[in-house]
Parts: sequence; C-alpha cells; structure tokens
Amino acid sequence: MERQEKIRNFCIVAHIDHGKSTLADRLMETTGAVAKRDMQEQLLDSMDLEREKGITIKLTPTTMKYIYNGEEYTLNLIDTPGHVDFTYEVSRSLAACEGAILIVDASQGVEAQTLANAYLAIDNNLDVLPVINKIDLPSARPEEVKMEIEDVVGIPAEHSPCISAKNGTNIEQVLEMIVKEFHPPKGDEMAPLKCLIFDSVYDNFKGAVCVIRVFDGKIKAGDKVLIMQAKKVYDVTEVGIFNPKMQVCDELKAGDVGYITASIKTISDIRVGDTITHVENPTPAPMPGYKEVQPVVFCGIFPVDGAKYNELKDALAKLQLNDASLQYSPEVSQALGFGFRCGFLGLLHLEIITERIEREFNLDIITTAPSVSYMVYKTNGDILEVSNPACLPNPVEIEKIEEPMVKAEIFTPPEYVGAIMDICQDKRGIYKNLQYLDKSRVKIEYILPLGEIIYDFFDKMKSATKGYASFDYEITDFNQSDLVKVDILLNGEKCDALSLIVHKDKAYTRGRAIVEKLKKIIPRQLFEVPIQAAIGNKVIARETVSAMRKDVLAKCYGGDITRKRKLLEKQKEGKKRMRQIGSVEIPSEAFLSILKIDNE
Amino acid sequence: MNKIGIYVHIPFCESKCIYCDFASSVCSKKVQEKYFESLIEEIKKCRYRRKVKSIYFGGGTPSSVDVNFIKKIYDTICEKFEIDVDAEVTIECNPNSATLDKLNEYKKMGFNRISFGVQSLHDDILKIIGRRHNSKQALQAIENARRVGFKNISADLLIGLPNQSIEDLIQDAAQLINSKVVHISAYILQVERNTPLELKIKNGEITLPTEDKTVEMYLSLVGFLVNKGYNRYEISNFCRDGCYSRHNLNYWKLGEYLGFGLAAHSYINYRRIANSCNMHDFLNRKNIFIEKIDSKKNIEEMIMLGLRCNLGVDIIRLSKAGYFINNNAYYKEFLKQGILLERENRFYLNPNYYGVSNKIICDLLP
Repeated sequence: MERQEKIRNFCIVAHIDHGKSTLADRLMETTGAVAKRDMQEQLLDSMDLEREKGITIKLTPTTMKYIYNGEEYTLNLIDTPGHVDFTYEVSRSLAACEGAILIVDASQGVEAQTLANAYLAIDNNLDVLPVINKIDLPSARPEEVKMEIEDVVGIPAEHSPCISAKNGTNIEQVLEMIVKEFHPPKGDEMAPLKCLIFDSVYDNFKGAVCVIRVFDGKIKAGDKVLIMQAKKVYDVTEVGIFNPKMQVCDELKAGDVGYITASIKTISDIRVGDTITHVENPTPAPMPGYKEVQPVVFCGIFPVDGAKYNELKDALAKLQLNDASLQYSPEVSQALGFGFRCGFLGLLHLEIITERIEREFNLDIITTAPSVSYMVYKTNGDILEVSNPACLPNPVEIEKIEEPMVKAEIFTPPEYVGAIMDICQDKRGIYKNLQYLDKSRVKIEYILPLGEIIYDFFDKMKSATKGYASFDYEITDFNQSDLVKVDILLNGEKCDALSLIVHKDKAYTRGRAIVEKLKKIIPRQLFEVPIQAAIGNKVIARETVSAMRKDVLAKCYGGDITRKRKLLEKQKEGKKRMRQIGSVEIPSEAFLSILKIDNE
Repeated sequence: MNKIGIYVHIPFCESKCIYCDFASSVCSKKVQEKYFESLIEEIKKCRYRRKVKSIYFGGGTPSSVDVNFIKKIYDTICEKFEIDVDAEVTIECNPNSATLDKLNEYKKMGFNRISFGVQSLHDDILKIIGRRHNSKQALQAIENARRVGFKNISADLLIGLPNQSIEDLIQDAAQLINSKVVHISAYILQVERNTPLELKIKNGEITLPTEDKTVEMYLSLVGFLVNKGYNRYEISNFCRDGCYSRHNLNYWKLGEYLGFGLAAHSYINYRRIANSCNMHDFLNRKNIFIEKIDSKKNIEEMIMLGLRCNLGVDIIRLSKAGYFINNNAYYKEFLKQGILLERENRFYLNPNYYGVSNKIICDLLP
C-alpha cells in the first residue's frame, strides 16, 4: 500500500463545551500517544486561560499511531481555535487537513457554533464526520440529534459514532471511522517541496519552530529552504513530529504533519499561511490563501505601578515570541506615564493578552480604550496614521479623516435577520446583500466601520441571535468619515488616556455615557471635581463628583493603634492603584470601565 | 523611665449591641471568675515596673460585673505598681448597670472618672441599636455619679444612628450639657463586618442616614459643643475645664501603656503587644501578637495620632526619626490650601478637615 494511504490529517470542530478537548485527549490515550499516567485532562488546551474561556487559542498538532486491519496508520490531529479574531488561523489549520470530526453534544444537539464550524469545514472541502458525544448523560438523545444533524447541517449522520469521551465509550469506533471516512492525502513526494506553515511556536532552545503540513516533496535537516512570502532563506536544522511533544525524525514527506527548525530567531519571520519550498527546484506557486495578518485593534497598556515598566516590556517580548500577531511599541501618556501601544487581531486577542500579562507575569496593568488605526490627512499635505486618539492633531489642521472599513459576512437563521440588520444600521453599516443559502441559513453582507465593531458589535449580535449567528469580517479599505475626538477633562485638565475618536453623531451620547460612568468610579476627593466631555473647546457633557465629606477612623479601643495604622497603610497601598490627573486621583479601573459603556 | 497608663479589659456585657464587634460577650459568672483569676495572674506576673499616671477600666461593660471583681483587680494593680497620687482612674459604665451602690463602691475604691455609654437620649433609637437603658436611666446615672462625688464624668454619643436627625443629636448634647458632664466623646457609627447591624442594613430592616447627612450631623454637633464652651481636643472628643481624658491623650502622644486582659494592647519599649481576642487563647497566654515599632512605623504613628488631636505633629521630632515632611509634595499643597496649619515647628490639621483626616494622613505618610 502506498505510504500516504496510511496517513489521515484531521481536526476536531465543535460548539463550545461539546467535548472537543476531551475527545482529543481520549484519542491520544487510546492510540498510546500519551501514556495514561502522563495524561493531564485536556492536554491540548495547554493554557489555563484557554481552559477558562473554553476556547483553544494555540494550535497543537499531535501525531498518533493506530493499527487497523493489521496496518499501522498515522493520524495527525490538528487542533483549531474557535473565535472570529482567529478566523484566518482556523482557515489555515483546516487547509492542512482532509477531514474534520464534528462533535455534537447528545443532549444539547446542534448549536450555533456546530453550524458555523461545520460549514467552515465543508467550505474547505473537508470530509466531515459527525460524532455524537456525551451519551452517558441521562438527558442524551443520540438518535434525535442524528436527525437534527441531517436536517439542520445537511450531512449524513446515520452511522455517526455515539460516544462518551468522558468515559472512553466507543473511542475505537471513532478511530476506525477516521481511517475509513477521511480521504488520505494525495501529495506527490517527487514533486518540488511545498509545505504550509499553519502555526508557529517558540522554543527556548530551538528558537522559532514552524508547524507544517507537507503537501508535495520531502524535507530533511540540512535542506536549504525558502519561505516564499517572507522571501527568506534558511538552513533546516531539524525536522520532527509532535508526539505530542516535539520528536526529531529523519524526514517529512508529502502528507506528513510535523515541524521544522532553522535557527529562526524571531517568530515574526514566519507567518501562518506562508509556504516553505526548496531554494533549488522550488514549487512554482505558493499555497493559496496567504494573508499578512495585521493588527486591527490597538490600545495602550501601562503598568499600574510605574516602576514596573521594564517588567511589562519583558512580558510583552516573551508573549510576542509565541504570538507573532501581537505588536507593541513604546508610548508615553501624560496621565499614565510610560507604557506601550499594542496592536491585536481583535478584542478577544486583546483580552487574552492582557489577562496573560496579569496572570503569567503577575503585573497589574491599565488598558486604555481600544481604537482602530485612522488615516489623517492634514491641511499641509501630511498623511498620518493615528491609532492613539490622544495623537489626533488639532481639528483645524485636519483636512479629512478616513477610517478602516470591513466587509462583514453574517450567517444567521432567517428569524434573526431583522435584529441583525438593526444592529448593523445602528453601527453605521452600509447594506450590501442578503442571500438565502438554504431554508435555515441566510448570509447578510454589510460594510461596517471597524471602529464600531471593536466596541460591542459581537456581544450585541450574540445576544440578539442567541448565539446562532456567526460573523466574519475582512478589512476592505478606508472611508472618509465625520470623526471627532472627544476629550475627557477632570477638574479642567485633559486626561489623554481617556480621549477617544468617534463619529460626530455619536459623540454626544458616548461623551455623556463616559462622564456618567466616571462619576460613579472616581472617588470623592478633598474638593469638588467636575468631569467634562469636550470636542475641542466645546463641552458636551458634564458631571460633578462632590467633595469628600467623611473619611475618618473610629475610636481606637483599648489603645489598638496597630489596627488603625494598618488600615491607613492599606489605604495608602490602595493609592498606588490610583493615577494622578492634575490634582485628581482616579483609580486605574476608570480607564478600563469606559470600554464597557455600551453594554450597560 | 516614663510613666505609663494601664488599661484593663472587662469583656463582659449583659447583652450585645447590634453594631458592636469588640471583644465582649455575655458570660456566666463562672466564666467571669475564671477570666478574672487569669487577669489578676497576668497583672501579677507583669515584668514592667513603671510608675502609673492613669488607669482605665474598659469593656465590654465593666459596670455589668460584680463590683468585687473590679475591686480585686484594682487592688492587684495598686499592689503591683506605684500609682501617682493624682492619677486619672476611669471606669466605663452603662447607665442601667451602674447603680448608686456600685458608683459608691467605685468612688471608695479610688476611681475618679466615669465614662458613661449613653450613645443617645432617644428611647426609640436606643431600642433599635440594642441598648438596655433608656434616656431617663442615662440621665439618672449621671446624676447618681455626681451624687456620690464624681466630678469628672464623660458621656459617649453616637452620630449617624438609624432614624437620628440633627435635631435629635443636638437635643441629646444639650441634655448632657445640662447634666453637667465635663467630657463628651462623639463617634460616627461605623458599620462593622459580621455585626447584626450590617445584616439588618443588608436586609433593609435598618437604614442609616446618608454619608452627607451624617457629616452634617457631626459638624452641627461640633459647632454646638464648641459654642457651649467645650474644647474639641481630638476629632471625636470634647471637654470643658481642661478635663481631657488623660489616659486617651497618652495614646495619641505615643506614650507608653500596658493593657491587661482579653484583646488588650500594650505599647512599651517600642513594642506594640496585643493579647489574643479569643478567650481560650487568652487564658492559655497563646497568640500574643508582638510588633516592633521601627522608625517608619513610628513616623506613621506620629503623623496619624498627632493629626487626630489638637496636639499636632512635631516637625523636629519627625525629622529626627528620619522623615522630612517638607519634602512631601502634598504637605506644601495642604498648607497652601489651608488644610494643614503650621506653627512653631508643629503642624496641625485644620479642624474643618477632621472628617476626612484619613485621606490627608495617607497622603502625608512616608
């Protein structure tokens, strides 16, 4: 039998909490890829944060050996993240597979993400194998769920394995089906080398590691390779497979999944979706679908304790080693001191990075409101790219401002079309198209300003459609727009870290909302503090925090001075979390809270 | 050697008030006996030999226990320590348990100052907060104390009680002045954790006046008392005719003192020592907390305590301890704004800002 006939490259997709990671664990355990005693629950989701959010961010492939009918098969499991911020990464992971296991919870049935993920796999021409999980639950109704899959998703499910990943029931059946149902890879070992990079990880000893799927040809240590889009040449120092830890092997051939190292110092030199080929005898065309991932959401990150600037810098550098899409550069704010302006793929990405800084590096940080990058055309002919609202020039110097627009495709069951269009309209969307794909699925297309999406678009859409709509967007171009900068003044002093750029029509509402929110957050000071929102010199909203009246400790009973002193020390410690804007002290939460305004 | 104050803690009450989170409880006479035996033992074994300038029996409710217990303790202290002839000797009393007989006994023993837990002279309010006495009893108790010969009588008032109005508070103060108390302590009610008060507020059974209202009450009271010739010598303490609480002033001046009994605190030789607030631990001399006061803590205490009373903070003493207050940016700002006043190498908190002293103290700490 030909070598590739015995390889299966596949991924597992599912709605959140339908048991993707548990099944992956069980497959590894059953095939012996991981000894039971080394088994940590849900090995694939290695970061705590991922586990908590129930999403996988890092893609960790695993090579498993499975004997079927006396033949040994190599099964490569490629994990995929599941959030719109990482759509591109998911699409590249799917491109590395021939098959996808679609897990459906036996009691919950088909859910929003089941649909979205199934269609994603189908659109990538993958063989889809539905697997009914959690049959151990008393509320399990596997037969009904099978019907649901056939009706709603539209793929046959009659012979789907019914399993309990938790208890290890019928896992063998899944492995058999992987072999039987999924196509083997059909590469040409003799053709010029063509590998897809679908992930990269940073290893302290090996440097940047490319996670690859070989489509054609062979690759081994010592080869001189070209990374085609990056146009960089490297000498391969090591090739190997994931077992699930990195394990060196002699050669990777067409159909294989594994990794290469090549003394690549920074992970930013290798981009997901890029193609690796030999310098001599290169493949004529790179893999399709490559995109340069650009950060689209920006915010300032500052240490709460100014003395921790260098620690924050180290933390960002370390995170970037493993995450090429994170960008940062130094920034100075009058209000917040020294920090960094950081770029992210989206809001979730932003949230993950900030949480990792706080948890893994134990740093308290202040995050400013997220912003997109605006093109500012000045009257003197200069063109500026502004991602920090505080840096927007004076209105009289601005000829026009353009903002990034996205083409958004929203897939939804028909009953939510009205709700979605209302949201898009409210977000200054331009209607493009509406198409009934089938009875249960409508595709709506809108052109929307990215700046509107990064606020709460996703949350709003999710709640309006009970999570049934899925949403994808790509940045198209820049559009001229009536944008203004709203400044926030505390006791008459502008707080640069609170400035934001908004559409003129929304300036008043948002300014009012921020001012009201700040009034709740800023503690009373020794004097009255006016909080104002202003466009240029024009105040559009005002609130006042009245002066503090009472802050005094009670009697010290029986001479208990210690307690009193400790209370004061604690109060003073709390002051470290405060930022001084002129004479006003504001808690660091204030900078975060204005992000959430629209949700209230 | 400096003279010291002595504090004795009587952790027993007839019932617990709803706002109270101090080391006190309702106990049988048997438990009381055991406690006092242990307390006397503690005093006898004390290794410090200092002259004593003030003694303070606090609680709990010292007047709630058998007068013989008090006498035994008092005698033990007198045997153990050399007491100044003009020492201030105070006992805290509740109006309902301080009978004429008891007051007479206290007087005979050598007590010369009584501090009454009056709290309010409005019966409806007293009932809500779980006090056992009424206003009539309170005024009668003060009268009785005077009859048996006490001149130095203090009364405690609480500010910001449920249903309390400014008028109520001022009325209370006026009645106390009428009854010729020379000293009034007026504390803003604090809602402490895990007290019935906290629970009742949470359940909506009790509503306290708003913060602004409470502050208004406090300021009105201050104005009233000062107008009537009472000197505010500390944030919450007022007196006439120089009748300061010398024992408490000693705390604020960072003077030394020894505390005996459950949860009692001592400050001696730059050490703060706290007995456990758990009865079992106290009886077994366990969990005694000792804290060495280094120069940083000393500085903090100087500022914290000095600003609470009209003694102010000695700038020279501060700088000798290693803290140059003039280098503190807030200090200059506060002087400029009139929040702090500086004269003769001392700085004082402008009494108008007593209510927000914590915030100011915090900014001034090193």
